[in-house]
Amino acid sequence: MFKSISFKNGVMHAIGVPAIGLGSSMFTFGAYLKSSGFTLFESFTSTFFTFALPGQFVMAEIIVQGGTLLNIFLAVLLTNARLYPMTVNLIPIIRHSNYPKWKYYLVAQFIAVTAWFNMFAVHKKINQDDKFDYFFGLAGFLWFISVLCTVAGYLVSNFVSHEILVGFVFVNPIYFLVMTLSNLVEKKIITSILLGATFSIILFQIIPDWSVLISGLSAGTIGFFIFKSEKYDG
Amino acid sequence: MTANFIYLSIAVASLATYFCRGFGVFSAKNLSTDSPIFHWIKCISVGIISAVIAKIILFPVGLLSETTSISRITSTLVAIAVYFIFKKNVLLSVFLSTATFLLINFYL
Repeated sequence: MFKSISFKNGVMHAIGVPAIGLGSSMFTFGAYLKSSGFTLFESFTSTFFTFALPGQFVMAEIIVQGGTLLNIFLAVLLTNARLYPMTVNLIPIIRHSNYPKWKYYLVAQFIAVTAWFNMFAVHKKINQDDKFDYFFGLAGFLWFISVLCTVAGYLVSNFVSHEILVGFVFVNPIYFLVMTLSNLVEKKIITSILLGATFSIILFQIIPDWSVLISGLSAGTIGFFIFKSEKYDG
Repeated sequence: MTANFIYLSIAVASLATYFCRGFGVFSAKNLSTDSPIFHWIKCISVGIISAVIAKIILFPVGLLSETTSISRITSTLVAIAVYFIFKKNVLLSVFLSTATFLLINFYL
């Protein structure tokens, strides 16, 4: 049964730094779409349905450059492929004892890095059957704020200085970085993070399009197998 | 770029993105949090995220590409230092890092 208190707690968790971290980037995305000639409703629709910023940027760039729908599909698939392991990882964490399957397919729309990190940061303190509704509140609110900030960025970008817009863009990767630091507990995770960053820098020089995926896959695999015997910590 | 093409593009991008999420739900069907595969996938997830962060900070596109590498790297180090010095304070770390970034780029 849906627990509104868990949902509300999730929303409360999202209000503050997580919402600012993601919202600031979505604000800049709205401003970027306006400067690229998109309409307000197109900007709204993009975040409403896609809700994965790197892929949204890639889509907009390909449209501006005159690419095809196939270009867009493949480029966005590649850019947002990180959502696959993240979803596989999150679903067992939020699994409810008697929720139907369709609810997981619905909540999947809200899975993104910010919500994922924040859920992993607190899930051990939440009862198993409360986790789904908590995540629904947390991630659903972040999605809502993202849509709102995209529209706000589109509407008010003319009144915001260039310096502030640049600052907004920087908030998101730094927030991701700090959330990553909060995960530095297990040796295999620390190794995966350090190798992921290192491999990404090296591989970008050779295969820029595939560098992120190959780096993450190889770093995670190496980190996991080196410290396979380490005690699991959730 | 016609409006129809843009909406089709958004639909295609949303489909590609949801495919990753939806297939993730399907794949997680029988996965237990105690299984080694679950932990292997978590390592891959954090590896990918750290690769994304490194790429954005060192090889950015868009607005960030107009900024200096030294400002991005210095601000990243500030974020890490503040996070550990001030008892893992996320807000302070993000704020001081962004302030450093803006200061180096626009006021120094």
